[in-house]
Amino acid sequence: MTDASVPSSGAPQEVLASLGDLTRRVRAAQRATWFPLLLFGVLTLGGILVDRLTFRVEEVTPCPPGPSRADVVLTVCTAAKQGSPLYWTAGIALVYAATAVFYVRRARARGVGSPIRPYVLTGVALVVVVAATMFWVGRNGIPQPGEPLDFWGLQLDPGAGTTQFLERLTGEAAAVGLPLLVLSWVERSRALLLFALAYLLLELVPISTGWAGIGAASPWSGLPRLIVPGVFLLLGALGFALVQLPRRRDAS
Amino acid sequence: MTEEHDQHPVNGLDDVVHQRVRLGILTVAHEARRVEFGFLRTALGLTAGNLSQHLAVLEKAGLVAVEKGYEGRRARTWLSLTPAGDRALRDEVTQLKRLIHLIEQGGAAPEG
Repeated sequence: MTDASVPSSGAPQEVLASLGDLTRRVRAAQRATWFPLLLFGVLTLGGILVDRLTFRVEEVTPCPPGPSRADVVLTVCTAAKQGSPLYWTAGIALVYAATAVFYVRRARARGVGSPIRPYVLTGVALVVVVAATMFWVGRNGIPQPGEPLDFWGLQLDPGAGTTQFLERLTGEAAAVGLPLLVLSWVERSRALLLFALAYLLLELVPISTGWAGIGAASPWSGLPRLIVPGVFLLLGALGFALVQLPRRRDAS
Repeated sequence: MTEEHDQHPVNGLDDVVHQRVRLGILTVAHEARRVEFGFLRTALGLTAGNLSQHLAVLEKAGLVAVEKGYEGRRARTWLSLTPAGDRALRDEVTQLKRLIHLIEQGGAAPEG
């Protein structure tokens, strides 16, 4: 390392530019973006297996009302259920805890402070929201269009676009995407901001899952919904690791 | 306009803060929130003795707080900005930006 690291004693512009270089060096030492992306990617792909393992077909009596059954009286219906509210709630909480510990320990080992606190606080708030949503769905089942829906006192129409958007927002999109936005602000990383926005777009825009040829009643019905964001997160982890690892070697 | 703003920005620069190594120390400490001696030494490309001298000046001026301890058997020295240090750095950057603004307008020379 040369003495060029010390701010220049020349023109004020040069001094400010040198301070900018030092700031960037500190930020590079603090960043470990690949780690939460890797964990969230593994968690999302793990959700496919959990959906498969928890898949069950139950008899429902009486049949829930539906537009297609207006002229037919059915006494027994079957409903496919899958997924575990515990998996997502506990998994997301564990990812946050692991990320916080990793950031703090790594920053301390490298000789800098860690700016992770806002990320953790956001995570705690979101885990509560996600847990409430997951447990509500676990207790009441996935609402059918036309059924009245009372979500903690909020009257919603399950068929409405707004309700479906809220459902997606309070799911993985919020639990993974919003903390990534906070992390991009904490790390002052434009690349992570763009990545988080792309992830949110992927989760919030209702993309058809018909491309996989897997029906809603299949044990693997979670696959088309989860594989795209899961692989996207893992590719992001790989990309950030490739960019940040050489910088780490430079900084050490 | 206040008297402070009427002053030429050169007169607003604090000699303790404006010295280039100390300005670097304050910048790193501000961004890192808490920084270890070894990281500072590497980032600024200084010898341990040289860095210690500058840290002593900053500590005496009340701009940084130094905390010594051990991690295992390894001695570690951490420093962080005091509120006064944070203000001093912000003032310095403001004065530098004013100076750049003046230079760009062609009025760099201080009066009197």
